[in-house]
Amino acid sequence: MYSQLFVEMEHFQFTKTGQAACGDDIQMKVLKGENRYLAVLSDGLGSGVKAHVLANMTTTMALRYLQSNMDTLQSVETIMDSLPVCEVRKISYATFSMVDLRLGGITRIVEMGNPQYIQLRGNKEIQPLKHETIVSSRWPERQVECYELKMEPGDRLIVCSDGVTQSGLGEGPQYRFGWRRSGEMEYAQERIKGNPDISSYALARSIAYKAYGISKNTCKDDITCMVIYMRKPRVMRLLTGPPYHKDHDAIFAGHADLGEEHTIICGGTTANILERITGKSVEIDISKLRPGDKLPPVGRLPGVAMATEGILTLTRVCQALENSEPVETLPAAGRKIIEMMLQHDKIEFIVGTKVNEAHQDPSLPQDLELRRGVIRRISAALNQKFRKETEITFF
Amino acid sequence: MKKLQLEICCGTTCYMLGANRLLNIENEMPSELRGKCEVKALPCMGLCNDKELAGAPYVKLNGIVIENATAEKIYDKIRELLEA
Repeated sequence: MYSQLFVEMEHFQFTKTGQAACGDDIQMKVLKGENRYLAVLSDGLGSGVKAHVLANMTTTMALRYLQSNMDTLQSVETIMDSLPVCEVRKISYATFSMVDLRLGGITRIVEMGNPQYIQLRGNKEIQPLKHETIVSSRWPERQVECYELKMEPGDRLIVCSDGVTQSGLGEGPQYRFGWRRSGEMEYAQERIKGNPDISSYALARSIAYKAYGISKNTCKDDITCMVIYMRKPRVMRLLTGPPYHKDHDAIFAGHADLGEEHTIICGGTTANILERITGKSVEIDISKLRPGDKLPPVGRLPGVAMATEGILTLTRVCQALENSEPVETLPAAGRKIIEMMLQHDKIEFIVGTKVNEAHQDPSLPQDLELRRGVIRRISAALNQKFRKETEITFF
Repeated sequence: MKKLQLEICCGTTCYMLGANRLLNIENEMPSELRGKCEVKALPCMGLCNDKELAGAPYVKLNGIVIENATAEKIYDKIRELLEA
């Protein structure tokens, strides 16, 4: 049951108003072979660049210790010992939450100074199986909360910095003590009730925006919210390039059967194959073209989300993913493909390997890579930068 | 009168070799030709691999292939068909 699950880990943050860097930091890592999903959120003392350095040191160390299964107390003590001492407050300080989620096993959460995590099963809050408070003899004033819990399919974990729970502090009688964990949880429950499948990113963003709104659209502290959601994977397929053998066209086109929301066709000849086999035609809307658009327009083909041009569009998608470019700056075809990829967990590429001789014409003004090379690069970027699962099938 | 059908190939080769500049042709036509054509973009006409033809970009006007298409060539062909 657990082997087919996907763990979606996303976050959203706002930087304290007036600061150049966010004083909260998040790092995540997936250990596929061990079925473990690690995430660390740290809030550095103060704000701005100094806080960011403290937070980043903390997340880097904590992630490494989690990965190597180091003893909790020893990890915490080492982190505290290593942080530089604040000139102003004469203490070394960064609060943190460490999550070690094991698919099908016990999930451990260690918190020091951060608001307590929230586990929701649908709308219901789930209490931990075990909770223990430990104190280091070297840092007696710090309490370390250790939790053990069981994550079931469909469960969500919400972890945030105190910028979320303390938002609105002093903003009238309703927020005498800020939004608090209870306010955050009620809001998350309301959002999940309205949209039971809400993605981690959408929920984290929504909670962060709500906290920002409560503070009258200014951030008195850095606001960070991370959501981990364990669910069935959302799979999409991208079909591109004609198959090497023409008699494989029908089997190739048969892969466009995942449903309208989950299939993209990239390539003129690929679209022609689909048109021939399904009897439906591509319609291209040229009314929304912007002058100077560097990518051909997007077409509509019944049964799939969109049909775009092939190699130019894929090359642009590849560059944007590799360089983490903001999607808003891309032409429609590239933007829509990336948005769709980011909304899915597993991306299956069905790649025809026939080379279009016309693309080898030296008078073409740009270098055109071979399709399979571009797809391999897109797949690697999705794996490494966006933690997506990918699969490539050649035809 | 039935409008002429102008189809512009938006395959990779055609797009890179000039079809991108033709997609807005409806708004750029000389005033006497405006409203005479229905302009459509197509995914790929597959003409770029035909060695008999002169080269991309390709457009079709009422099914007639225009090779190395430019706006001027298209206007001339529209005039020719309108006069015929």
